[in-house]
Amino acid sequence: MKNLQHKYYESYNDNSHSFPGLDISWLKKLREKAIDQFKKDGFPDKSVEEWNTHSYNYLTDNYFKPFSDSKFDINSNLIEKRDSNCSIRVVFVNGKIINIEYDSLPEGVEVNSLTYFIKNKPDFLKDKISSSSEYSEERLSNIIDSRPQSIVAVNAAFHQEGAVINIKKNVKMPGYIELLHIGKYSKNTMQHMRSVVYLEEGSECEVLENIINDTENDMVFTSNVTDINVSKGASLSFHCFIKGSRNNIHINNIHGEIHKDSKFTSTSIINSIGQVRAENRINLLGENASTKIDMLLLGSKDALLEGLTNVKHVKKYCKSDQNTRIILNENSKASFQGKIRVNKKSDGTLANMSSKSLLLSNKARVNSKPELEILADDVKCSHGVTIGNLSLEQLFYLRSRGISEIEARKLLVSSFGNIIIDELNMNFINRARNIMLEYFND
Amino acid sequence: MGTALEIKDLYVEVDKKEILKGLSLKIEHGEMAAIMGPNGSGKSTLASVLAGKEGYDVISGSIEYLGNDLLQMSTEDRASEGVFLAFQYPVEIPGVATSTFVRTALNAQRRNRGEDELDAIEFLKLARQRAKELEMSEDFFQRAVNVGFSGGEKKRAEVFQMSMLSPTLAILDETDSGLDIDALKIVAEGVNKLRDNKLSGIVITHYQRLLDYIKPDTVHILADGKIIKTGDKSLALQLEEKGYQGIIEAN
Repeated sequence: MKNLQHKYYESYNDNSHSFPGLDISWLKKLREKAIDQFKKDGFPDKSVEEWNTHSYNYLTDNYFKPFSDSKFDINSNLIEKRDSNCSIRVVFVNGKIINIEYDSLPEGVEVNSLTYFIKNKPDFLKDKISSSSEYSEERLSNIIDSRPQSIVAVNAAFHQEGAVINIKKNVKMPGYIELLHIGKYSKNTMQHMRSVVYLEEGSECEVLENIINDTENDMVFTSNVTDINVSKGASLSFHCFIKGSRNNIHINNIHGEIHKDSKFTSTSIINSIGQVRAENRINLLGENASTKIDMLLLGSKDALLEGLTNVKHVKKYCKSDQNTRIILNENSKASFQGKIRVNKKSDGTLANMSSKSLLLSNKARVNSKPELEILADDVKCSHGVTIGNLSLEQLFYLRSRGISEIEARKLLVSSFGNIIIDELNMNFINRARNIMLEYFND
Repeated sequence: MGTALEIKDLYVEVDKKEILKGLSLKIEHGEMAAIMGPNGSGKSTLASVLAGKEGYDVISGSIEYLGNDLLQMSTEDRASEGVFLAFQYPVEIPGVATSTFVRTALNAQRRNRGEDELDAIEFLKLARQRAKELEMSEDFFQRAVNVGFSGGEKKRAEVFQMSMLSPTLAILDETDSGLDIDALKIVAEGVNKLRDNKLSGIVITHYQRLLDYIKPDTVHILADGKIIKTGDKSLALQLEEKGYQGIIEAN
């Protein structure tokens, strides 16, 4: 492992000239700090609490090259037509931007690639890309533990592209923005995307990050980290649909800073037969800020799926609501780790967390760990976890009405997932239902 | 006429425990049979076996339904062939709207019988009509199946499903329990409406009261796993007077 850390460190130094933004001192510093952190921490192993459910052996045993010899041999069928409700779509193939599609660019909405912003508007980005240690775990012993964030450190050091969205003051973006990432990478390479979403005061926007990794035969390591800032009175929906494939290790991170009177909603839907980990770390930084974080993990074959949330109530009167549903088939495994942290003096907090898992085979496994760290007095928090199989009573009831066993199972499984999907608005609900259908058909 | 259902010398075990011990029962087309019996006599077991629930082991005996071997048919095939069980405890299914559920069921049955499926508009028209007959608000179409329904609403929803699926053999398993007198009348009327269509039925109940509204052609007393006495409506009245023990001792 030490050798591996050193190898990445050397690789960073050998290639640093080719990372964008090295002429910008704050960005250069951010990258250097990140690679130093990674050199110190290495990939998280099972001694790191947030990483102790599944092994990431392939990550810790192999070296991934930071550059993919990207031949654009993408099956063009993967790039579907832009959805009619989607106002702007940014298409990335193998980590490179290939198109920004829109009919007309609404006023006060700025969408482009990270490299465009680095080249043309570097000052805008300053302080908007969080440092790799910013979202470190605060242990109850007051120790700041950066180890859980070492993939974010790799991302901060090696990222080459991403999307940047800026919604100006009081602008309400019509429709939604899709960030489509399609990847088919060469063997043992890694690809790190870094995005920034910045909503100015009173603005509103909906974003779908749609990640499709098609890596049937070659092991690849990918990560997307998005830094989100929702200013006072603004409202952002940032949904994330991830389709992973075998031999793909994908780590997804959403870092949210949610300010006074603002609202952040996120639904992650993951359908994979590979290894996917989605983290949502959301800080409610101003009074009356609220967030709703939903996740639906759909696993089959040998999938290893992990969902992690960490919602920090930093100020008074904030609200958070988390719902996770996990459906596992065949040999798939999953974990849910949810944390609500209510800081001292954050009175008037309302926080709920629920995680329910449905195991459809004898070999499927799930671990759920809800955590509440409440340091304030006047707080209302709840959490609930269930793990179970399909109910035989429900199956019999449906069959006794003439519904075949297969159809009855499908109905019950979708109804379980619909608890998450039905919360989406009309822009996304049909797309989400299609993911559910794909899951059934695979 | 002709025979709708014929059960011969049926022995059934649940968890290796013998519950039905040589039960025989014959129901003609259009006949409404009431089955009464003390707790634990096997009434609900009979209902579950007829609907095809797993965990009920038929040790010996036979059940013939419309001339076919019912025990060879899957639960869903029985439903398509017209067997309907109104559950004693209707099951809650969160996340599935009642209308979605009933439409899926109705169309599955129609498909199974080689009939055309109903489209959304045809279905809604029929559902509205049936709901109105049962004095049910249409709000419940969009509510998840039985979730948050009161006891009375659940039973009424069972009869609604029955009227939508228009079965040939309806088994009402203590459909009267948990109903107030007004709800009981509405439910009974719903059942009686279907009787005009040559429905055969088995009404399982503890109380004579339901039989004031759904008038049975025959009354059977089930005790210790078999039918010990068969008669007409007057048997139910006799039962009211003497209690089960009186009847059992007399036999």
